[in-house]
Amino acid sequence: MKRFPNPGIWLSMFAMLFAAGPLLARKNQSAKIKAAALQVEMIQSDEIKLPAEFQVALYENLIRQLEKQGFSHVYRDGDRNAASVADLVVLRSTVRAFKAGSEQARQVTTVSGATSITVHCQFTRPDGRSLLERDVNGKVRFFGGNLRATYDFAKKAANVTHENFSSLASE
Amino acid sequence: MTPRRTTVYLVVGLLFSVLVSASGNAQETSVPVKAVQLTGLKGIKDNTKGTLSVENGNLHFVHGKENSDVSVTSIQDVVTGADSRESVGKTVGIMGMAAPYGGGRVLSLFRTKIDTLTVEYRDPDGGLHGAIFTMSAGTADAIKKQLVAQGAHTTATGERTAVPSPSSTSPNKEQKQ
Repeated sequence: MKRFPNPGIWLSMFAMLFAAGPLLARKNQSAKIKAAALQVEMIQSDEIKLPAEFQVALYENLIRQLEKQGFSHVYRDGDRNAASVADLVVLRSTVRAFKAGSEQARQVTTVSGATSITVHCQFTRPDGRSLLERDVNGKVRFFGGNLRATYDFAKKAANVTHENFSSLASE
Repeated sequence: MTPRRTTVYLVVGLLFSVLVSASGNAQETSVPVKAVQLTGLKGIKDNTKGTLSVENGNLHFVHGKENSDVSVTSIQDVVTGADSRESVGKTVGIMGMAAPYGGGRVLSLFRTKIDTLTVEYRDPDGGLHGAIFTMSAGTADAIKKQLVAQGAHTTATGERTAVPSPSSTSPNKEQKQ
């Protein structure tokens, strides 16, 4: 006959598991860098020729997605109000690679015509001190116009920001 | 010079002056153009259809009762480009995908050329905004010319931005997230 362990042991194991979750979450929270506000600079594409509509769509989508992630103070490039904010994090984005696909080719073949864009994101303090650097890419493989790649990038970049920075307002 | 020849010269001269004055007036007055605001205008939802015009030193977008103005003097860059979109509507396009043997894909081959107009402007606090519009082919340049004539800045040297060829900037190494 198979014997089950003492129910008390089971109970204590469950209790430890439930207690560990919030504790680990708090540990991750404390590892995040404090950011009272974010300032998003205009997307740079000096080396890569990028159509103006892509550059603007990357910038606008990025700001929108950061606001959706709960960052209440997202300042735009050149906004004078950001100058007086303590714990400001500046996000500089530079396009590293761009492949202009074709919506028509995607719809007709479904296997070709993907649009992809790779952007190097650099999070710094206003004095230039680097906090985090990450390459983020955006793609559109099947449905949607080419500009949808900018939305994909913005969502991923906002997730990276949310994982590594804590908005003081959301605490 | 015979009187008949003089009359002919006069008529030709009059016609020429009428044509020149007509073209001059056409550049000054702004004809509203049907456009789709893809993103970037405050208070206007993305992918909103409306009319775009340049009036009294403002880039004016109207959609029903909603309207949005961008002061021409706050515009720091105007760029036009070319693109294309499906000739059939979205609904028909999606329904076509259900057609047997991939027959709906044929619809994707029918595409209409469109112009894009990208405008970068600053708000009163100095914050940079970008707005993107699409409109029927051949209309974006006229809007751009009117904006530049009224004081908007532009960094583009040519009439149109060169859309890079797919192979020219192909990313060979992509990092996955």
